[in-house]
Formats: sequence, structure tokens, C-alpha cells
Amino acid sequence: MRLKRISKAVALGATFALALSACSPGGPAAPTGSPSAGSTGKYSVEPTNTGLADLGDITTASGSIAASIGEDEFISYNGFTPEANNAYNSVVTERIQSSFSYFGTDGAVYQNPAIGSIEKVSDSPLTIKYTINPDAVWSDGTPITTADAVLAWALQNANLTVDGKPIFNSVAQDLGDQVPKGPKGEASGKEFTLVYAEPNPDWEIQSLLIHPAHIVAEQGGLSTAEFVAAALAGDGAKLEKAADFWNTGWNTDPGTVPDPALALSSGPYKIDSWEAGQSITLTANDKWWGTPAATEKLVIRFAAADTHVQALQNADLDVVEPQATIDTVAQLEGLGDDVQILAGDTLSWEHLDFNFAEGNKFGGNPELRQAFALCVPRQQIVDNLIKPLNPGAQVMNAREVFPFQENYGDVVSAAYSGQYDAVDIEGAKRILEEQNATGVKVRIGYNAPNPRRTDVVAMIKSSCDQAGFEVVDVGSGDFFSKTLPNGDYDVALYAWSSSGQITSGENIYATGKPQNYSQYSNRDVDAAWRKLATSLDPAVQLEQTKAIEKLLWEDLHGIPLFAHPGITAARADVLNVRRTAAQSTVLWNAEQWLRAPR
Amino acid sequence: MLRFILRRLGASAAILLGASLLLYVLMVNAGDPLKDLRESNASNRDELIRQRIGFMGLDQPWYQRYWTWLAGVAKCVTLNCDLGTNRSGVEVSSLLANAAGSTLRLVVLATVLAAVLGIAVGVLTAVRQYSGLDYSVTFLTFLFFSLPVFWAAVLLKEYLAIGYNDWIANPAFTPAQTAVSALLFGFVMQVVLAGSRTRRLATFAASAAFVALVLPYLQWLNFFRYPQLGFGGVVVLSLAVALSATATSAGLRNKLVLYPVLATVLAGAIAYWATFGLMENPTWGTLALLLAAAVAVPVVLGRVLGGHLRGRATGAGLATALAMAGLTTLDHIFRAWPGFLSLKPRPISTIGSQTPNFGGTFWESFLDRGAQLLLPTLLLALISLASYSRYTRASMLEVGRQDYIRTARAKGLGERTVILKHALRNALIPIATIMAFDFAGLIGGAVVTEAVFGWKGMGELFRTGLDQVDPAPVMAFFLVTGTAAVLFNMLADILYAILDPRIRV
Repeated sequence: MRLKRISKAVALGATFALALSACSPGGPAAPTGSPSAGSTGKYSVEPTNTGLADLGDITTASGSIAASIGEDEFISYNGFTPEANNAYNSVVTERIQSSFSYFGTDGAVYQNPAIGSIEKVSDSPLTIKYTINPDAVWSDGTPITTADAVLAWALQNANLTVDGKPIFNSVAQDLGDQVPKGPKGEASGKEFTLVYAEPNPDWEIQSLLIHPAHIVAEQGGLSTAEFVAAALAGDGAKLEKAADFWNTGWNTDPGTVPDPALALSSGPYKIDSWEAGQSITLTANDKWWGTPAATEKLVIRFAAADTHVQALQNADLDVVEPQATIDTVAQLEGLGDDVQILAGDTLSWEHLDFNFAEGNKFGGNPELRQAFALCVPRQQIVDNLIKPLNPGAQVMNAREVFPFQENYGDVVSAAYSGQYDAVDIEGAKRILEEQNATGVKVRIGYNAPNPRRTDVVAMIKSSCDQAGFEVVDVGSGDFFSKTLPNGDYDVALYAWSSSGQITSGENIYATGKPQNYSQYSNRDVDAAWRKLATSLDPAVQLEQTKAIEKLLWEDLHGIPLFAHPGITAARADVLNVRRTAAQSTVLWNAEQWLRAPR
Repeated sequence: MLRFILRRLGASAAILLGASLLLYVLMVNAGDPLKDLRESNASNRDELIRQRIGFMGLDQPWYQRYWTWLAGVAKCVTLNCDLGTNRSGVEVSSLLANAAGSTLRLVVLATVLAAVLGIAVGVLTAVRQYSGLDYSVTFLTFLFFSLPVFWAAVLLKEYLAIGYNDWIANPAFTPAQTAVSALLFGFVMQVVLAGSRTRRLATFAASAAFVALVLPYLQWLNFFRYPQLGFGGVVVLSLAVALSATATSAGLRNKLVLYPVLATVLAGAIAYWATFGLMENPTWGTLALLLAAAVAVPVVLGRVLGGHLRGRATGAGLATALAMAGLTTLDHIFRAWPGFLSLKPRPISTIGSQTPNFGGTFWESFLDRGAQLLLPTLLLALISLASYSRYTRASMLEVGRQDYIRTARAKGLGERTVILKHALRNALIPIATIMAFDFAGLIGGAVVTEAVFGWKGMGELFRTGLDQVDPAPVMAFFLVTGTAAVLFNMLADILYAILDPRIRV
């Protein structure tokens, strides 16, 4: 699950916001009539929620389906090292390495019944019981057991060290502190429990099945039982050889398929072939026990996004996820009935943040912030920059929930009363006059070059200058390295990409946290976050989210603008292609893709 | 001469060093390499940032990073290059090996094609200076020269890939298409062949009629899906080549040349059947062996049967044998075409250097790769056509005014000999320089082409590196293209000095 937290999507969405992108609600939560032809996908079985549809009793059809999300090459079977941890690698590894839970199309967490079940058995201390599906086996026939969970825990445990350095070069290092004792259960059994030291609302998305423990143990010169014992005992030295294998043993040169006896699959697919710089082909895993892959071969091609439309037209690709630009959408629409266009949101959202650093005129003056918020033409920004592509786009009025998510309406109605929905130049002018601040400079900083953000700033300028502000565009290439840390701005325009975790926002809004770039501080917000982060009750979490949103609106911490749009397209004869807002990309349900019978 | 080469070598090294420093400084200042992570909301973000700082050495000042890079490159002397790692820790040298391979495949063919076509066009336009042909070819080459690559690539994909693929599913010409093609072909032919008004008219009528008849005939044969040449076709065309080669070298009455050439055709006809099974699914190795045999047989025959004319006999035989080998190969490619079409119903893909999991026989996968090579090569060749043709034209015109050309004409030499032997050979000297320069330039110039056609080559390495403000891949790109540019220029200079003693300093 942590794989998904790394946001390549931000880089794409933000850097290449060459413009004006499509944006329509992704899930069923926000139904808005989009006129673009075929904006709903074609299904063999209509999905009933944002999770995977139940295809029922199907057999694998021969043939292949080709997809591309970009030109970046597959790197390694082990996508859990920082070297390989990106969306382009995960599209492959997530097909061949199953997990206990996954994100639905709106970012909601679902359990994966093929692997097993997760159940909370106690709140204090937080205790989670995992049950592995009795049929679950690796592609060499070895059953998936608690030992594999111990490996997953060990490699996220920075306390397993040699000479003070963690032995596993893993992207996640904190599970050892969260679950000090590790998975409890018979190593060769199918059940284990985790006991958390602190309450963790994100318990459902922990990765506890990643790689085969028996392979890592064997390559480290240990039996699986010895490996488990050493890991649970915290014996870093004994595990060092195994960890060395885990760190690099699965890596191969581009084009060389990792040894199928070592790079085992626990998913519906396994790696078949790999042509460096061109494509990687997955084939149905004959040992897979769950609903079989709908199509035998899945080809993931490494093609640049600007080649996607023509490749789709020529049937070189069946499913694509190009950058959402106005040109792409126009070209896709030009292809007519040959393709299905699935426009939607992503879990990245654009916002304006005020600078609360000591001495900043906006941070110290709520009236000025209010005046500025009154003149920001949010609706116009969405109308002009987003809606031409997708009439379903809407202004975002929250920070922790997205318009396409279930709780959105609830949270917004509790936190925000619509005071900044319409531009009120007169109101803003009046406040500025009262504050004796007519003509005050507003430096809006963002990471340039980024045409869409430049347009946003221009629109704010033409509106707010009428109210008596003097908006200055200070977008620059070193926005993140200089402008933001030095506080040389009044309003920052950038995006956050949501990780799907419930608690990650604390890092942004609580006092003194690492991602609190604007140096905002409010005791009540801090307290609400603490409460949220230590509660396991969804009702309490929702209550606190509402409280936090309300406080952030009252303080005008910043102004949310819109969720970044994304676009997916597929040949009309490919069924079950579904866009997702989550970072798992359109391939999240690739094992369900099916070519329609002619 | 040695001193000259050493001096050039030293200067080249200094240029490379200076350029690498300049590029590194530019690269380091091109943006913020941690940008995407700073905006990330991941819980292990600090860890990721720390790791990337480690991979890219961002905790060191730029000159130290440059020095590390330079020291790694210096190891190349011991064939142990260390080009560093990219921002996610992947060895750049392994990336480079793959990238250079696919770029070279693309660039070599395009350069050769552009040079051959460009020089031919250049000679033709020089000979017909200020004619309609000259003007229209000049116009076209400049048009190609100034085409934006990405746009032209999209057009090529639209018409030559998607359009062709749609057409080949059910290949047919409407009468209007046939008529337009016939008229167009006739017009072009009369422009190219020129002559008096009646001759032009005759050329026009003959060529147009030819096309008007051949197109419906080919369609009737279903030639575009089931092309055929067959044994008969190979032998008849080879005989034509054999006879014309004999006629031009010694005359048809000359038995000393005619017999070895005809014997070559006979040997080729036997070889056609003897190698039939082998050629149905060969390897590059067997093809090379067969080619060697195709060269050896006429040489032996020419030497043995040619008597005092063995030189001419060998030459004519060689031309015949090569033509016959080519035709036999073409025949096998034709035979493989229907199978290829059933494996790949849309023969020209818009992306990639080959079809994933293609399988197929040797010829089928040859066709697959060939089809993928076609568009990018065509594009690169079209764009560099202009420089070759213009330089050749200018050079030819200049040489044509020299005294020795006048002397050659005055001696009564035929126009063909004057142009091809006396003028072109000397005119080619400056073209050597252009070609060296162009080859190096094309490696860099293929950046866009590669990206648009989905080839992972040097260009992709460069572009990704630039996007991510990641110096190591960009510097690797520079190392190859920069070295190629400097090296090829140096080679050209040396060649030049050898060809033309006046240059030597």
C-alpha cells in the first residue's frame, strides 16, 4: 500500500499541467451529466461500488491487452526499495504481488478477499487479526503463510540493524516501532495478529504481504523458521545476508526477466517477458487461486504520453492514461466510437496557502485574508481552466476529502457556509479600505514553468486588482527550494497529493510539523489532529475532520481550488476498464480487462 | 601528419572538457531535483529525499560532484567507465548501453539513406541547374528541412501508419485514385527525364499508361496482401540485369564476358532452389554466408572464364549475382508477407521498435522490425536530405567550372564519364566533412524522433534527465554525442588532409 503513497502523479500533474485538463467526478458519488461521448466505461459486469467488481465464474481468455501509462521503464521485481518505488514500477509489481487491501476508485480502502481478511479484535491496545486465504500460494506452490508477513514486517523495521544501520533498504521504516513485537502466530500457519504500540487509524493499509519469505531466507542461507526467529528476535547480524539479497538480489538489467524461481508471484499475473525500453509482458499465473485473470496476457508498454492517442487509434495500445490536456481530450474525442474516454479526478488537489510566518501581513491579519478570499474567482478558474474539458468539474471546498468521496457533502456542509463561493469585489474593497490597506501587494508564488498556474494567477490578478490588491506573480523555478522555505511569498499556489492515509494531513496543518510550510499554528487544530490520529472510531475521525476543516476555513489557512483532473482512454472493445483517482493508475483492475467478443 | 593528428586530438579533448563543465553547470542550475518529493505527501518523504540526496550527491557542492563524475569518466581509459547513477540509483552505464544500441540502429540507416539520396538529388539538380526540376526539388528539400519534427512525425503516423493499416485490410484503388496516381507519376517522370517537348509528352504518356495498367493488375493479383515474384520473376529480372551489365561493360557480342555472366545466372538459379529451405527461416549468420557465396561465385567464374577481360567479367558477374541475391531475398520476404499480415493485421505500429511478443519466423520478425524502423528513418532522412543535396549541388557546380572538366570535355569524353568520374569524385571531398558532422548531429537530433515514435534511445535518456534535473544521464548523453561529434569532425579533417594535400598544416 505504501507503494501508492509516492506520488509520481504530482510530478506529472503539476509539471505537465500544460494546461487545462479534464476533470469529472470519478466515482458514483458525484453524478454529473458529462456530455462527452462514452464517458462511462463498458463492463462485462457492472461494478456496484468503488471497489473491484465481482466477475463471477470466468475463465482466462487467450489474447493480450496492451496498456501504457508513460515511458518510464520497469525497474525491479522488488518495488519496495527507494530506487524502484514509483508508479511505473508498481503497475507491474502490483499485478504480481497481492496485498491484503487496496484502494477503490475514490481512494476508499477495500480488503482483498483473495489474500485473506483483516479484522480489528481490540482497540486498546490496537490488535489486528489477519487470516490468510487457505488456498493462497506463491507461484512455486509454496503456501503463503505468516512467515511472509514476518518478512514484510522485518523489512519495514528500522530496528533490525548492523552497525547501527538498518539492514533493509526499504521505503518504509516505521512498522518496527509501531508493532514492536512483530506478527504473532505460527510461522507456517495462516493466521497472525499485530499489536500496535499506539493507536493507528491507518491499520487497514499496512503492507503485510510483499515478498516470499522462503526465498529471502533460502538466499540468506537460513531456513524459513530460522529467518522468522531471527527477525522476531531482532537479530540483524543473522539476517544480513538475507537482507542483502532482498536489497539487490531481484534486480536485473533492463530486458532481463528476473529468475522465475526467485521472483515469485502472489497475484493473478506473473512476468513473462521484458524488452528493454519497449514493453514488459505479464501472463496469467497458473497457480493463482482467486478469480482468474480475464485475459491471458497483459502488455505494459513504455510509451511517452504524447504518443498515446495515435497508438490507441492504431490499436497498438488498448488502454492509455495520457496527460490530461485540452489537446489530448480533443484528439481522443476525434476518434469517435472507437474509444471510450474516462475522464476523472485524481487524488491531487490545488490550493492557495497564506504565509503565516512571523511578520507576514497576511498571516497576521485575518481581515486581509478574508478580503483576498472574497476576490479569488474560484468558480471562474474552474470554469475556464477545467470545465471546457469536463462540465462535471467543481470547486473544491475541503482539504481532507475530495468532491468525489462519500463524506464530502457532509464535511463541507459542517465546515463551510459558502461565504467564498461568489466573488465579492465590493466586499473585498470595503475590508481593504477599513484596514487602510488598499494597494497592498500580494506575492503569489508557485513552481514555474507551469502554464496552468500562470493562468490561475492571471485570473486572480484581474479580479483582485479591482478590489485594491496588487497581485504580483512570483512563480519561479526554485519555488520549493527557496521561495517557500524562505517565506518570500504571501500566497503559495501548489498541490498536495493525498496518500490515502487518514492521518497524513497532521504533517501539514499541525504546529511545527515538517510539511507545515506556511508555519500555520492553531492549538485547536493541533488538538483535533491528535484526537483524530489516535482514534480508531470512524465516527470520531469524521467528527474531527469536520472540526479541522471548520477551523481551517475560519482561520483561512488557505483556499482550496480544485482536484487535479486525469484522463484515461481505452479501445471500445475492451471491457471493465475503470478510472481510479488513487495512485494505482488505471491498471488497478487490469486482471479484469477483457476484450469484448465480436 | 602525426603532429597534425596529435594536435587535433589535444584540441578535441580540451573542447570536450570545457563543454562538459559548461553543460554540468547548466544542468545543476536547471531546476530543483527534489521538486516532486517536496510536493509529496508521503509519510516516508524525508527518507526518500534523504535517499535521493545520497544518489545524486546533493549534499556536496557542484564542483565536487563534477569532479566525481569526471573521475568516473576517466576510468573509461581502463574500460571500466563509471558514469554514476541516476536519481533513483540505477547505473547510467547500463541505461546507456541500451539507449545507444537503439539510437545507432535508427541513425545509421537514416544517415546512409539521406546521404545516398541527397547526393543523387544534388548531382541531378546541378546537372539541370535552373530547370523546373531544380526549382521544385530545391523547394521540396527546403520544405522537409524546415518541417517541425514532432508535427511531421504525427502526420507520418496518421497517413503512413494508420492510413496504410486501414487500407491494407482491404487494399483497393478507386478509379479516381488510379487516375490521379497515373497522372502524377507521368508528370514527375517527364520532369525528371526532361528532353524536348515531344519526348516529354511521350514520357508522360508512357509512364501514366504504365501506372494506369499496373495498379489495377496488382489489385487483381491481390499483390498488396499476397505479393509474388516467384522463380520466374527472379530469373527473368536477373537475366535483364545480366544482359545490361554485359552490354555496358563489354558489349553483348563479347563471349568472354557474356559466358561467365550467364553462368552466374545459372548458378543463381540452382542456388535459388538449393537454398530454398534454408532461406525460408534463416539466421543472420546463414544470410552472411550466402552473401559471401554470392560474391565468391561470380569472382571465380569471372577469373576462370574471363580470359584477358577477367576484370570486366568479374564486375558484371558481381553486379548480376548481387542483384539475383537481392531478388531471391525479396522473393522470400514476399512469401513471408501474408503470414506477417496475419500475425500483425496492422503492420505499421505508431510506437516502439518492435511488436511485443511477436514470435514469428526470421522474415516475419524482420518485417516487423523493418516496419517499425520505416517511419522514424524516413523522417530523419527527409530532414537531413536538404543539406546533402544542397551541398552536393553547390560543390558540383563549382567543380563543373574547373579547367580540368573543360579539358575532359574537350578530349571528347562522354558527359556521363565527365560528371560521374571527374566532377563527382572531387565534389565529394567536402561532403565527407558534412557527413561526419551530420552523423554526430543526428544522434542528438533524434531526440524528438525517438520520443515521438516510442524508441528508448539516447534522446529519451537526455530528455528524462533534463526533466528530472538529473545530471548523470544528461552527461552520459553528452559524452556519447559530444565525443561522436568531435571524433567524427576530427576524422573528417584527417580524411580531408589525406585527400587534399593543400589542407595540411
